[in-house]
Amino acid sequence: MNAPAFQAKDFKSDLKPIWCPGCGDFGVLQGLYRALAAIGRPPHEIAFISGIGCSSRIPGYTTAYGFNSVHGRSLPIAQGVKLANPDLLVVVAGGDGDGFSIGGGHVAHAIRRNTDLTYLVMDNQVYGLTKGQLSPTAPRGLQTVTSPLGSLEEPINPLLYVLAYGAGFVAQATPADMPGMTALIEEAIRYPGFSFVNIQSPCVTFGEDDQQLKAHKAKMKTLASLGHDSANQLKAMDLARAYGTELYTGVFYRNPNPPPTYDALIRLRQAEQSKKAVPRNRILDAYLQK
Amino acid sequence: MVDDLILGMAGSGGDGVVSAGESLLSAASSEGYHALMTKSFGSQIRGGESSCRVRLSTNKVLNPGGALDVAVALNWDDFFRFGAELPLSVATVFIYEEKAGPPPATLKERGVMPREMRAVPIGELAKKSAGTDKAKTSVVLGLLSGWFGIPSTAIARGLKKKFGNKGEGLLEANERALATGIEYATAHPLAEQHTLALPTKSGPKLLCDGNDMCAAGALFSGVQFFGGYPITPSTEVMQTLSKEIWKYGGVVLQAEDEIAGVGAALGASFAGKKSMTATSGPGMSLKTEILGLASLAELPLVLLNVQRGGPSTGLPTKPEQGDLFQAVFSAHGDVLRPVLAPTDVSDTFKITVEAFNIAEVYQTPVIILSDQEIAQRKEAIDPIDTSKLEVLERRRPTEAELVDYSRFKLTADSISPISHPGMKGGNYLGAGIEHNEKGEPTASGTMHARMNEKRFNKLDPLKKRTDLFEVSGDPKASIALIAWGSTAGVCREAHALAVARGLKVKLLVPYLLYPIAEEIYQSFFASVRSGLVVELAHQGQLYRILRMFTDVPRGLKSLARSGANPFQPSEIVSRLAEMSPEVN
Ligand SMILES: Cc1ncc(C[n+]2csc(CCOP(=O)(O)OP(=O)(O)O)c2C)c(N)n1
Ligand code: SF4
Ligand SMILES: [Mg+2]
Repeated sequence: MNAPAFQAKDFKSDLKPIWCPGCGDFGVLQGLYRALAAIGRPPHEIAFISGIGCSSRIPGYTTAYGFNSVHGRSLPIAQGVKLANPDLLVVVAGGDGDGFSIGGGHVAHAIRRNTDLTYLVMDNQVYGLTKGQLSPTAPRGLQTVTSPLGSLEEPINPLLYVLAYGAGFVAQATPADMPGMTALIEEAIRYPGFSFVNIQSPCVTFGEDDQQLKAHKAKMKTLASLGHDSANQLKAMDLARAYGTELYTGVFYRNPNPPPTYDALIRLRQAEQSKKAVPRNRILDAYLQK
Repeated sequence: MVDDLILGMAGSGGDGVVSAGESLLSAASSEGYHALMTKSFGSQIRGGESSCRVRLSTNKVLNPGGALDVAVALNWDDFFRFGAELPLSVATVFIYEEKAGPPPATLKERGVMPREMRAVPIGELAKKSAGTDKAKTSVVLGLLSGWFGIPSTAIARGLKKKFGNKGEGLLEANERALATGIEYATAHPLAEQHTLALPTKSGPKLLCDGNDMCAAGALFSGVQFFGGYPITPSTEVMQTLSKEIWKYGGVVLQAEDEIAGVGAALGASFAGKKSMTATSGPGMSLKTEILGLASLAELPLVLLNVQRGGPSTGLPTKPEQGDLFQAVFSAHGDVLRPVLAPTDVSDTFKITVEAFNIAEVYQTPVIILSDQEIAQRKEAIDPIDTSKLEVLERRRPTEAELVDYSRFKLTADSISPISHPGMKGGNYLGAGIEHNEKGEPTASGTMHARMNEKRFNKLDPLKKRTDLFEVSGDPKASIALIAWGSTAGVCREAHALAVARGLKVKLLVPYLLYPIAEEIYQSFFASVRSGLVVELAHQGQLYRILRMFTDVPRGLKSLARSGANPFQPSEIVSRLAEMSPEVN
């Protein structure tokens, strides 16, 4: 067998992560390096887009082209990148606040367009970068600096959210199971269409005790061990309802017949329309009055 | 003989006055006239009352003009609803549907009573000739042709285009209605002749509006991506590109909101493609954060803002020049982004090409400030010579520069070669966080100062671009007339009238609104003692920005009023005359 084209270290940049020691995001980064090595695309053909948050710093720690943009807008920017150049491998990452609070409105549209990109949410049920405020995925009643008397709202369930809009690939992982998480990231990237992995990535500084790696290890259950058939969308939704109580890992749903992606469709349209192009100096002729 | 004719018509939704205006415009332009049309609708989305103004001229048309030479009312209520758009004078020839009854008192109350009031049984003539009063507008076109000399052959050609394939004798019926209108006019001559002179120079014309020219300019520049969200009065740019851009390998993304639209456009630019977005007031407000990201990440991006009345929803279908402060100042952080403004339909094309060139060369977002009038008025313009227009590209790194590449390298002209994903060796981290030359995040004050300097310095050459300023008139004139955007068209006419009256006035029209080209203004101001900066916005925003950046002569005043109240050349001339002690 040939030696693999790339190794995990080829994707590691010289920047030193600013994360707190022990932050779950370190694990996610390691898993991502390995998944990218397994995929085998060179770093310069990868565009890694994020928003703002601790987790959104992740593109800078890779050797890929990165874009650490503004809070909540990674998905629109990533779609622009992919549609402008469908040859690129586009990965998007960010936090639970970035993706499901300020950027929540964009998720549904990324899914309905089915642009071929992989969205990794590093879900720590808290606002890490801004130091511990309530997150949209935090449980009702949670006391934080912005909900000192306990939150009065239900959390968003990210898994149900993306399943409901028809995402073709939906999985959950935790760095507590490194090989499992790595394999899921790789599978998500390989899925031809919009793919989503909710990665339970503990915030050691502001997160709750029951959301730390140790708790994950004790709690996690693979969907495979439950005998879940990932082609069963309704069952996937049923299992996803346990978000916040159970920690299921693995593929909730994978569309067995992936529909054409948006980027593939625009290529077809461009090819079909290209015959009608006119030279630059004749563009105005369309307005000529005869 | 007259060489300029302003017509206005109003009717209810089914009357088709706008379509009649379009026929007139296209007939006149195919004969070689310069022509301009604006339309106005009532508040209903569909089927409500509508009006249009058409200005025909043997010379270049600079603006929609003031009082009507010819008014057509198919019923009184609809006509009065458009009072502001359809001003009358005693010299107006007023044609109205006889069946609508005699002019109500309201007409008198408006101050002017046209000398020539013509009641014509328009509906009846239509029924008699075409068998249906739906052919009313063809009768009206016949009247206009007969009374004002608008070539009937061209109108007939237009009818053929419109009804030729509609079948069932529709074309023939309308041709009969047209002939009937002409006969009626010939049999009932006007008291005073108003025949339009023949065009001085015939030749093909382009029939288009400002939004058409923005889309065409973008395509000419090689736009590859448009991301946006529909909003009046900018949507036509997205609509046109949605048809056209694919032919050239590009993409239009109708995003879920304006933030996503500009975000996707910025993503496409990051991916190395020429890209743009278009919007109006409310959408512009939403796009602001991403504009700042474009400035910091030094990514080319063109943003068209077709101004409408504001704030908030304001007057969505009316022009205002109230977004200049927003274009220039709406950003957190200390940032400069170029702002350009076209002044008419034709130059919207060139300004769009210029915007792409500046965006690409200087790696910056560029705002084009158009407005509802320029964007949506249909005009017959002379063909645009594109042979001398340059299309520029961003400076990409050479092989050598890709060895140990620095995305934000500090260079002599402060422009760093820019790579994009897919380019081996050019890998970097784009970000909204401050960076060093390599693109690595930094919180260093020294580095921040250096990068700020770079981002400002790179745009300095723009301030020397005299070609982005139109200066005309006696260079030693002591009175200045300054205007931008659609108001420039009114001021060009006012300037010509003022000079003809012997006033010592010179005109300055900036296409580059920001950064303020201090030296260009200062040298223009050298002879100036007084004058006007004319703007269609309550605050007179350019005037205030000029006071911020230049030594404005004491006598230079702001002539400003809220949008949707277009200036007339005559009132500007009177104001200039007051400023001119030596002549009047
Ligand atoms: C428009 C805007 N609003 C607010 C912020 C402040 N802010 C930065 S990150 C963040 C939340 C981060 O939480 P999350 O997305 O969950 O990421 P984490 O830090 O937990 O990884 C907030 C509120 C911002 N940068 N921009
Ligand atoms: S605050 Fe939390 S999420 Fe942020 S780096 Fe520290 S541990 Fe990680
Ligand atoms: Mg978080």
